Amino acid sequence: MGYVDVSTVRHTLSDGRVLLDDVSFRIGEGACAALVGENGAGKTTLLRIIAGDLVPEAGAIARTGGLGVMRQFIGSVRDETTVQRLLVDLSPPAVRAAWEAVESAELTLMETDDERSQMAYAGALAEWGDAGGYDAEVTWDTVTVAALGVPYDRCKYRELSTLSGGEQKRLALEALLRGPDEVLLLDEPDNYLDVPGKRWLEERLLETRKTVLFVSHDRELLARVADRVVTVEGGGAWVHGGGFASYHDARAARHERLAELRRRWDEEHQRLVDLTRTMQQQAANSPDMANRYHAMQTRLAKFEAAGPPPERPPEQKVAMRLRGGRTGVRAVMAEQLELTGLMRPFDVEIFYGDRVGVLGANGAGKSHFLRLLAGQSVAHTGDWRLGARVVPGFFAQTHAHPEWQDRTPVDLLWHGEPGRPGVDRGRAMAALRRYGLTDSADQPFRTMSGGQQARFQILLLELSGATLLLLDEPTDNLDVLSAEALEEALAAFDGTVLAVTHDRWFARSFDRFVVFGADGKVYESTEPVFDETRVVRER
Amino acid sequence: MTLVVPPDSGPAADDPADEAVSAAVGRLSGEFSGRVGPQLVVRVVRDCRRELGGSPVGALPELVERLARYRLDRQIG
Repeated sequence: MGYVDVSTVRHTLSDGRVLLDDVSFRIGEGACAALVGENGAGKTTLLRIIAGDLVPEAGAIARTGGLGVMRQFIGSVRDETTVQRLLVDLSPPAVRAAWEAVESAELTLMETDDERSQMAYAGALAEWGDAGGYDAEVTWDTVTVAALGVPYDRCKYRELSTLSGGEQKRLALEALLRGPDEVLLLDEPDNYLDVPGKRWLEERLLETRKTVLFVSHDRELLARVADRVVTVEGGGAWVHGGGFASYHDARAARHERLAELRRRWDEEHQRLVDLTRTMQQQAANSPDMANRYHAMQTRLAKFEAAGPPPERPPEQKVAMRLRGGRTGVRAVMAEQLELTGLMRPFDVEIFYGDRVGVLGANGAGKSHFLRLLAGQSVAHTGDWRLGARVVPGFFAQTHAHPEWQDRTPVDLLWHGEPGRPGVDRGRAMAALRRYGLTDSADQPFRTMSGGQQARFQILLLELSGATLLLLDEPTDNLDVLSAEALEEALAAFDGTVLAVTHDRWFARSFDRFVVFGADGKVYESTEPVFDETRVVRER
Repeated sequence: MTLVVPPDSGPAADDPADEAVSAAVGRLSGEFSGRVGPQLVVRVVRDCRRELGGSPVGALPELVERLARYRLDRQIG
């Protein structure tokens, strides 16, 4: 069993800003702790410091037990990294070093087959055995069978780029959870996993006896798995010793307490300053008061030197104002609609004010259905139409706008587009401020974080005057607070909402569900359905 | 004359590694037949086996045979 002890860690960014200051917390043996915070608050930096990738400017990290780290990029590997390389990289340092030595000795042997290189190769193999390399290979075989359904020898040279994001994640998670490391740092382990994959991850994290610190935005995962929540905010970190269910109340109470402590400090400070001034005046006329004045000065100096308590962290203010408007009773009608090759013909009627979750198998045509309703060209048969005064507004996954990549939010708002009039810089900045995007106003869209891009797209929906929102995985890149702001905005929206989502927490806010089955059948459900398997097509 | 590595030269005779070493002796004797005497093959293989004693058992047959072949080549070279 292992633990992590973070003690008074400080980290300064290259531009001089202090990102983390006096960060201290402990993740005890066998704990499963979530690390949460806004985008850019310093979660990944803190994980890198704990992992040893970054040296803190001050403070120290103590831990016992081997450390296994799953980086955020696993799931989006597109280079020539092989399954074997990934498994080696996730192994303990001794196994990694022994593997590198065997590789190097093999290479030398291929170039120069003499006695010296043969003995060096034999020595490297002996080191491999001593480091537990053969045992690791047995584990890797179990891992690849569990994650990919094939033995290690049959997939070790396979490139990760040929695996789906979910398969890459599953492979890494199986390796870490079955490996010898006692402390695991997992940076967004649930990204790219479908709902059955997320459920699998929850079960594994619940049953593991390892000590786990993980970053996630998935509220369902946080609620089921985390037995404590470490929050990075306002340059510091604090720990809520309970689960996610009681986290919001604990955070609000902490913020109130900090504000109260600060208010009291300010009041006491002002009182001491006033008293010192009064005594200064009295000291001019009385030597006795002069002594008391100097004592008062010392007391004030000590009070100021001790410093004020930490300020209440600034609240992330995301105010989404999705207005909408009254439309005809029937907002969307489809009869015998079939998106060519994707599903069997189906009928659906969606009414003004409905909140419809579009769920189902990957590859079953959910996103295509939304694009069709948004007016894009999608091959289909059958009829569909929108009701009176229905104006669709489409939120696509963030990579779906290549034409935006080099333009800035202010530029995109200023120019407008059909159905969305342009606005001047002042109005654009005011709107961006409400979405917490002031700092990103003049940076290219491609350089914004996933969460910032998602918030900007919601702002465009607000400005377009849409009365039918078509949302394709809108919470995928949103941090917890932004996702909650979106839910509030949708609740207040006067119109109809259709959303494709794998976010179980978000899906609970919908009242009807259209499910695209793996067998091509489209059906309605009153409850969310997340266990449709991936559509299998010949490739 | 025997081609079998004597049991007192290392681990027990039923050790899978040493069975494989015996097989290496057989193969190398055939390969170097007429150029090197069988007793020399046995001696070279036995020396190689001893020097590679710390190697993983699974890799030992290949390592021993490869090193012994290299040394026998040098003998006749």
